[in-house]
Amino acid sequence: MIRNIVTLTLNDLAIAFKNKTIYLILFIPLFVFLSLQFVDQKNEKLQTIQIGLIEHVEYSPVIIESLKAADKLFVISWLATEEEGRRWLKEKKIDGFLLKSEKEPHSLELLVLEKASFRTIAIVEGFSALQIAVEGKSKNWLADIRSLRDSGIQRQTLPTWILMLVLLVGFIVIPAQIAEEKEKKLLLGLLQTPVRECEWLLAKLFLGMILIHLAVIFLHLLGKFEIEDSLSYFAFIGVGSFCFSSFGIFLGFLCRTQASARTLGVLFYLPLLLPSALSDFSQKLHSFAPVLPSYQFYGPIKAILLEGGGISTFPLEWIYLCSVGLITSLFSYLLLKKRWLM
Amino acid sequence: MLIEVQKLAKVYNGTRGLLPASFGVEQGELIAVVGHNGAGKSTLLKMLASWIIPDSGEVLVDGINLKNRMALVRKIGFVPETPNLFDFFSVEYNFKLFARLFQIPFSRIEEILKEFNLLTYRHNKVQVLSKGLKQRVSIGRTLLADPPVLLFDEPTSGLDFEMTKEVYRLLKSTHASGKTILFTSHRPEEIKTLATRIMLLHQGSLVFDGPPQEYFQSKIYENLYA
Repeated sequence: MIRNIVTLTLNDLAIAFKNKTIYLILFIPLFVFLSLQFVDQKNEKLQTIQIGLIEHVEYSPVIIESLKAADKLFVISWLATEEEGRRWLKEKKIDGFLLKSEKEPHSLELLVLEKASFRTIAIVEGFSALQIAVEGKSKNWLADIRSLRDSGIQRQTLPTWILMLVLLVGFIVIPAQIAEEKEKKLLLGLLQTPVRECEWLLAKLFLGMILIHLAVIFLHLLGKFEIEDSLSYFAFIGVGSFCFSSFGIFLGFLCRTQASARTLGVLFYLPLLLPSALSDFSQKLHSFAPVLPSYQFYGPIKAILLEGGGISTFPLEWIYLCSVGLITSLFSYLLLKKRWLM
Repeated sequence: MLIEVQKLAKVYNGTRGLLPASFGVEQGELIAVVGHNGAGKSTLLKMLASWIIPDSGEVLVDGINLKNRMALVRKIGFVPETPNLFDFFSVEYNFKLFARLFQIPFSRIEEILKEFNLLTYRHNKVQVLSKGLKQRVSIGRTLLADPPVLLFDEPTSGLDFEMTKEVYRLLKSTHASGKTILFTSHRPEEIKTLATRIMLLHQGSLVFDGPPQEYFQSKIYENLYA
């Protein structure tokens, strides 16, 4: 059995090399790496700022009144504790919250998700404009800015690129290869040999997982991105690659031709990629995205890479991805047994 | 009886396919399965090769049930109308892949390459070969595992005269080595030249089963083809 799986996996890798899939795997991380160089040049429009205030903190009445008056620029949310503020910040319910500064008693400290972001600049500019309007130029209301995440823009966008790579292999590469084997009757040819259906399926799963791991490692090598908790990180890359490879195989079985597999792949690729990747920028997407398997992968990867999270924090997400992988594998197996659209 | 088929049936979209058919095949027979397009010839062969799952019926090949695919693949070899080879790889790679999966020694590949005059093409990618050569590679790959029963779906379809003759030669020599062969065909001269028995399918039903002389003199042949 193992011998057959190894033979089939090596054959699949050779096919991936021959049909140029491997070039795609190398090209995408390179494309991502180059794109990252331009991330800092993006701009962002000034929008209404959701600012949090802690109920038990004694803020200067002038500041409170000024913030309330500037209701087109600031929307105030009252928070019970600093912990709640941190949670709301992570959940993107607020853009930042104010604390009493420990260094300067009459000034405030701003806590934001990311220090080096245009959102933080917008808050500081808003405060500065408000202060000038109320008091004229005097001592700054904001004495210090702290952030929950302390990494650069490149690293902050890394989870999105990782998600993109995983979904690309899962929804574009794998379904097309399955459909090609069906279209050219290669799969039926292999099933005329003593190869069990489950062996063929496992070989395809390994193909997807190997391609995803190669792409992720290549991206890390190119960008020199370090991983603190590599065990947790690769536990999620592993389960994510299993889940989306399996999903991709299932999609491949739903198609008779490569062309339809590519189309179906893109139809799944974008709706799974965009809501998860953009959930950081939209409250609505943030509340909707968790139903998607892509978000269950993206969330932990982001936390592991940026917030020092570990696999122990996300057991449900890991189980969710594993379950989706197992269910889609089972469906693929049943379709293979029925010689579906072959 | 080497092959026993009982009420084998497959229906596509309510009409097409194969209506329940029963027959037996003795070892060493060379059977031509004939009929118009859509008569059910390819469906019959593909069901015997486990390419299509039958709706109903029983098939035993040398005592092995059709449902036992893992055992049956060593008994039945199927050569489809369009060769299903990994065409971006060489002839040798295609042979080696199947030899590994069947756990056959590579020395067998040398025998087949020699027997099928493919030694000079062994390192050529399949995609650059002519259809006739691809068909030879496809037949050779099927014979690697040395199955006692061989199924050929339209083996000379789209081949020129020379390549057709070459395929006839291969079929005859394979049959002479003791194999049981079923092939589908539209060509009367092919059927006359090769077959020892003819099975005529019409609209999914088996309407004639007998020797070639009887077939060509039968009323049913006259009605359908003359």
